[in-house]
Amino acid sequence: MEGVDLSAVSLRPFRISDADDFLSFAGDDQVTRFMRWNTLASREEALATIRDVCMPHPWRRAVCVGDRCVGFVSIWPGSGDDRCRADIGYGVAREWWGKGVATRALRMTLSQVFGDLPDVLRIQAFVGADNKASQRVLEKAGFTRDGLLRKYAYLKGTLQDLYLYSFLSTDVVPAAAD
Amino acid sequence: MEEQKQKTAPTSGGSSGGGKISLRPLQLSDVDDFMVWATDPEVARFCRWEPYTSRDDGLAYIAGTALPHPYFRAICLDGRPVGCLSVTRNEDRMEACRGELSYALGSGYWGRGIAAEAVRMAVAEVFRERPELERVEAIVYAENKASQRVLEKAGFTREGLLRKYVVIKGRTRDAFMFSRLSTD
Repeated sequence: MEGVDLSAVSLRPFRISDADDFLSFAGDDQVTRFMRWNTLASREEALATIRDVCMPHPWRRAVCVGDRCVGFVSIWPGSGDDRCRADIGYGVAREWWGKGVATRALRMTLSQVFGDLPDVLRIQAFVGADNKASQRVLEKAGFTRDGLLRKYAYLKGTLQDLYLYSFLSTDVVPAAAD
Repeated sequence: MEEQKQKTAPTSGGSSGGGKISLRPLQLSDVDDFMVWATDPEVARFCRWEPYTSRDDGLAYIAGTALPHPYFRAICLDGRPVGCLSVTRNEDRMEACRGELSYALGSGYWGRGIAAEAVRMAVAEVFRERPELERVEAIVYAENKASQRVLEKAGFTREGLLRKYVVIKGRTRDAFMFSRLSTD
């Protein structure tokens, strides 16, 4: 039993008024641990990030439960020869883990983003080999694991093996378990 | 660990079918040899570029791309350039562990193990020269079976198939990711 009404999950653009909610997850080391982001340390940093990164972003959405922002999903499209592919990143506040929120947010993303970014045919996610929770979220949302990229990049000072997952515009999101 | 008198002294290695393979920087004076493989549609078939049509474009490529490149080498057979290869360098500290290999060999020299030997030599050299490099990777289009065999012979591991990875010449292509680690 997951404990949250997933129909209350929605995606919308970020607002300046999300700053406190944003800080509560982007300021949490447990959430940013597997992300490129440095953990935010103040409301000012949260405001600056929303204003300078989230709002002008090609495709970044606040993940909301009701009207409360509890996470984010970002899509970074490539350009030129790489325009058919886009990288996805996401994070959810710790108190919303294990309730199906991230999976629901990804499903909603996959149903919207290909219409918004028509050049994009492939969405891919790089996930740490030890980040089992995120691997499960991607698999439940219908991503295919393409392979293990050995010693691919550093994350917070540690050289990482990363799994590469993908979802194509022609792939089908599996039916929800609930 | 050999001592090199110059930073870019030629690397010599094995021989194949009676020729000695070596690597050295590509020079402007190599342009006529360069044009042999650069104008070849068989070579360009699975590459991002169209066959070259003008010697001036060849000179521009050597001057603008090959000469300033962090690692760009002519593949030489008995001292004469018959192809080229390169390994990129990422300036970002978090990505500097990784470099991408590209190569091209004149079609008249295919099927003799030359590309595989050149790749082996280049990978060994670039791992020696760049201590921060942990991984050399290569992205090869799914239809390019010959290039996949080159990488397998050169000791690369095939890590996976990346569907609809890149647009080449107007078409979206599937590609295989291959890699070789400094510890392999």
